[in-house]
Amino acid sequence: MTEPKTVAAGAAVTLTGLRKHYGEVRAVDGVDLVIAPGEVVALLGPNGAGKSTTVDMLLGLTRPDTGAVTIFGSSPGNAVADGRIGAMLQGGALLDDATVGETVGMIASLHRNPLRVAEALRGAGIEDLANRRCNKLSGGQKQRVRFAVALVSDPDLLVLDEPTAAMDVQTRREFWLSMQDFTTSGRTVLFATHYLEEAENYADRVVFLSKGRIVADGSVAGVTALTSGRTIKAVLPGATGHALHKLPGVSEVDIRGDRIILSSNESDKALRTLLAEYPQAYDIEVTAIGLEDAFLTLTGHATLSDGGSAPTPPFEGNETR
Amino acid sequence: MSIGYLVLELRRAMRSTRFVIFTVGMPVVLFLLYVGIWGKSDPAAPGVIMVNMTSYGALTAALFAGSRVALERAAGWQRQLRLTPLPGSGYLAAKGITAMALALPGVVLVPLIAALFEGVSLSPDEWLRVTLGIWLAVIPFAVLGLLLGQIGTAESMQPIMSIVMMVMSLLGGIFIPIDGMPSGLLSVAKLLPSYWLTQIGRGAVTSDLSVGLGQAVLVLAGWTLVLGLGVVRRYRRDSARV
Repeated sequence: MTEPKTVAAGAAVTLTGLRKHYGEVRAVDGVDLVIAPGEVVALLGPNGAGKSTTVDMLLGLTRPDTGAVTIFGSSPGNAVADGRIGAMLQGGALLDDATVGETVGMIASLHRNPLRVAEALRGAGIEDLANRRCNKLSGGQKQRVRFAVALVSDPDLLVLDEPTAAMDVQTRREFWLSMQDFTTSGRTVLFATHYLEEAENYADRVVFLSKGRIVADGSVAGVTALTSGRTIKAVLPGATGHALHKLPGVSEVDIRGDRIILSSNESDKALRTLLAEYPQAYDIEVTAIGLEDAFLTLTGHATLSDGGSAPTPPFEGNETR
Repeated sequence: MSIGYLVLELRRAMRSTRFVIFTVGMPVVLFLLYVGIWGKSDPAAPGVIMVNMTSYGALTAALFAGSRVALERAAGWQRQLRLTPLPGSGYLAAKGITAMALALPGVVLVPLIAALFEGVSLSPDEWLRVTLGIWLAVIPFAVLGLLLGQIGTAESMQPIMSIVMMVMSLLGGIFIPIDGMPSGLLSVAKLLPSYWLTQIGRGAVTSDLSVGLGQAVLVLAGWTLVLGLGVVRRYRRDSARV
C-alpha cells in the first residue's frame, strides 16, 4: 500500500475530496487519491462506478462540484498546456478524413516539445499506417492511433480510459507491450479498465471504485489480501453442507453434484481436517482468491456490468477460475 | 493560433468532394444556367446573377466549414483537442479562417467566368466590391456556421443546414431575385443577412433596388457581433458541461 502523505509533495496526481453529481446521480462521491511519479495505477470498477467522470475531472475536461485536482503541482489546465498529460479518451476521437500521419503530426505541432511523429508512431506500433486514412482503420488500429496521439507530446503522465476496449486478445497484448516500453522510462500511468487481467499484469497498484467511492486501493497482492482466504475444491461424493460448514474457518460451501467448493480463511487447517474426515476426497485444488473475487467482495457483490446499460466485456484469463 | 492545425483543417476540407461540388461547381453552373435563361431580358441581369451566385457559393462554403464542428464534437475530437495546448479561441479562430479560405475559390471563379464568357464589364473598384467585398461580407456566415456546428449534432446537422441554406438563399434574395419580389417578401428578405450580403455586390452592378454600401456593411457587422457572441457563449457552455 502506498502512503499518500509521503508522496503528496512531489505527487504526479493528487485528487482531494472530489465530487461530481449529475442531478440525483452521484457519479463521483468523495474521491481522494495520490499517485506518485512512476506509478502505474489501474482504476477498476463496474460501469457507472465513476471511472470516466474521475478521469475527466483529472484531465480538466469536467469541473468537479467540490474538491481539487493537482497534476505535478499545478492545475490540469496548466499541465495540459505544458504537454505533461497525454490521454486516450473513450470513444472515436479521430478525424475520418485525415491520415494517421497528419493527425499525429498536427497534434505534435500544437505542443512545444513533442516527439518526432515517426517516434510516436513507432511507440504505438503503427509506423506502417502513417499514410492510411483514419476511416480505413480497424477498431484496434484506431486505438493505437489514439495511443500515438497521447504519446506525441512526450507526456509525464499518461491517462488511458478503457484503452483496449476495441482490441482483440493479440492486439491487446501488443498494446501493453508498447505500454511497458513507455513506463520503463519512469513515467506515470493511470488507466481505467474492465479487464482485471490487465490490472493484475500491468499495474503496480489498483484502485477500486464503486458507486463513486474508492473501496480499495493498493498493490494487487495487497488488495487481494484484503479479502483473506482461499478456495478449496475437491470431488467428494455424498458430502453434506452441514458437515462441511463445521470445517475450520469455512465461510461458504458450494456443492455441485460430487464437487465441493469451500471458502476458508484457515485453508491449511480446513484441508487437514477435510482429509482426516473424508479420506475418499480427490482432485483437490487450493487457490488464492484472485483480483476478481476481491473485486466482487469489495464492491459488494457488484458485477462489472452493474449499473450500466453498455455491454461489458467478460473477465478473461483469471487463473483462479 | 496554430499553423499546423490550420493547414490540416484546409487539407481536410479540400478533400471533400461534396464541398467542392457545392461551393465551386454549383455556383458556376447555376450562374451559366440563369444567364442563359434571363440574361437577355435586361442588360443588368448577368451582373445581378453574378453577384447572387458569387454570394451563394461563398455563403455555402462558409456555412459548410462551421457545420463540420458538429461532427468533430460528436466524434470526441473537440475533447481530444482540449487536451492539447490549443486554446478554445485558437480552435474557433482556425475554424473561422478555414471557412473564409474555403469561400475564396467561388468568390474568384464566378466573377472570372462572368467577365470572360458573359461579357460582364465593371470598373476595377466595382470588381473589387464584387470579389473582395462579397468575400469579407461572408464573415457572419462563417460565424453562423460555427454557431450551428456548436448547437447541432452529427445527425441533425444535415437537416439544419438544408433549412438554413434554403431560408438564406430563397428568402434572402439569392435564388428569387429581389427585383421580382412582392414588397411583403422583400421586407422579410431584409431581416436576413443573405440579403445584405448580396447588397454588398449589387451596388456595383446596378443602382436598381440597391442600398448604400455603408448601410450593408453596418448590418453585416451587427450580425457578426451577435452571432460571434453566441459562438463564444455556446463554446464556453459546451466546454464546461462535457
